[in-house]
Amino acid sequence: METTLHSLYLGFSVALEPHNAWYAFLGCVVGTLVGVLPGIGPLAGISILLPVTFGLNATQAIIMLAGIYYGSQYGGSTTSILMRIPGEASSVMTCIDGYAMAQKGRAGSALCIAAVGSWIGGTFGVLVLTVVAPPLATIAIRFGPPEYTALLVLGLIFLAYMSSSSLIRTLLMACLGLLLGMIGIDNMTGHFRYSFDLAELGDGIGIVPVAVGLFGLGEILATPSADAVKNIISPRLRDLLPTRKEWGEAAMPITRGTLLGFFIGIIPGSAHIISSFLSYALEKRVSKHPEQFGKGAVAGVAGPETANNAASTGAFVPMLALGIPTSPITAVLIGALMLHGISVGPTLVNEHPDVFWGFVASMYVGNVMLLALNLPLVSIFVWVLRIPYAYLYPLIIMFCIIGVYETNNSIVDVWIMLIMGVVGYALRKFEFDPAPLVLGLVISPILEQSLRQSLIMSNGNYFIFFSRPISAALLIVSIGLLGLAAMSFVLKRKDWRSKLAEVEAGEAEA
Amino acid sequence: MTLRADHIAGAFFIGFGLLIIALSGDLPFGTLSFPGAGFLPNILAVLTILFGAVLVLRASESKPFAALAWTDAKHAALVVALTAAAIAVFDWLGFLTTDVLLIFALLVIIERRKLLPATVYSVGLVGFTYLLFVYVLKTPLETGPLGF
Repeated sequence: METTLHSLYLGFSVALEPHNAWYAFLGCVVGTLVGVLPGIGPLAGISILLPVTFGLNATQAIIMLAGIYYGSQYGGSTTSILMRIPGEASSVMTCIDGYAMAQKGRAGSALCIAAVGSWIGGTFGVLVLTVVAPPLATIAIRFGPPEYTALLVLGLIFLAYMSSSSLIRTLLMACLGLLLGMIGIDNMTGHFRYSFDLAELGDGIGIVPVAVGLFGLGEILATPSADAVKNIISPRLRDLLPTRKEWGEAAMPITRGTLLGFFIGIIPGSAHIISSFLSYALEKRVSKHPEQFGKGAVAGVAGPETANNAASTGAFVPMLALGIPTSPITAVLIGALMLHGISVGPTLVNEHPDVFWGFVASMYVGNVMLLALNLPLVSIFVWVLRIPYAYLYPLIIMFCIIGVYETNNSIVDVWIMLIMGVVGYALRKFEFDPAPLVLGLVISPILEQSLRQSLIMSNGNYFIFFSRPISAALLIVSIGLLGLAAMSFVLKRKDWRSKLAEVEAGEAEA
Repeated sequence: MTLRADHIAGAFFIGFGLLIIALSGDLPFGTLSFPGAGFLPNILAVLTILFGAVLVLRASESKPFAALAWTDAKHAALVVALTAAAIAVFDWLGFLTTDVLLIFALLVIIERRKLLPATVYSVGLVGFTYLLFVYVLKTPLETGPLGF
């Protein structure tokens, strides 16, 4: 414990250096804007702004990019509450009761509860991360290829199981992503795979063009400017403080959302999105007045908003301790550190304590900044929403092109982004969620290498995955999840995921 | 039989899986004790075909293909065409010229905005971004034949 406190002291001395604090602040402001603006989520935002960090050192780069990530979770609630448009996917559930509260004249309260809940969820997440990540990294050093294979398989199956759309659709997207990740030179044999004699494809397809295409350009293609909503409720500053009764109603949902969000965040998948859906379902289930949900229930705002922030911090645990990207966003962050010569994994905490602890401490600082930013400046962020969409989306397309081109100075990457934009548009039409595709692309090289190394280690004996305790435990959980999902799929029985999907579909249609 | 969205999607994935298997023909599959470069791609291609087939078999649960809304397709096609044109000349004309032309074209051709506001917005926005990246963030942007 003493060592942790000493290390945290080192972290704060790094995070509070004026330059680093400035980049944390910048990340928080940009993140809030990314969260506020519909059509550009945290993944596209971080990817587009990746080249901006090239002139910074590794600590400043990760502090700024992480600020964009958790800042977007705060900002996403603003459009949900004031416009009934989720600024990003994890704020979908906040639209239901947040907008209903705004229509009752309680927009300020809803924003304040969302911001305080986000702060509590985010800060709790960082506290646990501080305590858990270093010892977990010590254990992770003992992870071999079979354990990594089992962990990644569990991540994919968990993502498919938790998906509220369809198990088959999620698995198809994951397969597509894994296949895309195999383009380029095979690291173990040197064979060129599916690169069609294009030298630029030799290193494979990067995550940035795929993510920006699917989530940035794809969203723009699916949103004609005539469809952009203009109706915005503007809260007054004096109405921002919730009543004592509202605080009372928010307390337990914030507590539950914090715990639920953090633990969901640790597990691979689009945790910040799933956690907000689960939190909403949980609050509705435990509420004494479930009939108030959809009509402005405080718990319907407090729970999901807290959970998505706690989850976004929880996702940093496997990233920092194991070096495993549990979501496309953490994958881009790992990529950003690699561009600065820092290898993320169990050795990070010992080899680069200034980066590790500086990053952790910056999240404490960033969460306080966001709380201070989001409430008084809400009217400024609302003003941004008044920019006509016809002028906004050309700007986003320009940043998509700069962001993708500058990463590798490759025009082929920009073409890939355009193709992925069209793919993203088509996927939306056919109701496929592109997130598992990006996750598949990200984990593909690690999964393939671990699987093949495991088989070489065991001389082709698949039993190796069950003969080692950690990988056996992870695979048993995977099989259990697959069994549960298959049972409801075959019997066409409605389990909690189907009910959640109905809530989601109803919300989309409303 | 009504043609449904998942008939099309499932058929696409079956075709895609078959294409991967065809393209993997020259990649060594290897053995279990030493898997080759074609090992995992072939397994994934077979899984893609299987999942695609399940999608086709359960297509009755999806929307009829004719019910899919394509009202935004014209907007999407125009944005793709203009962006593709911009990418094609990006290396040649550089960031400043290409992006001014792209934003101007998006505003005038797709959004039917007046020429003067479109010109002011596109030149102002791209100029500001250029100064921000090159002089504040010290990140050089692609230059054209005139050196900017």
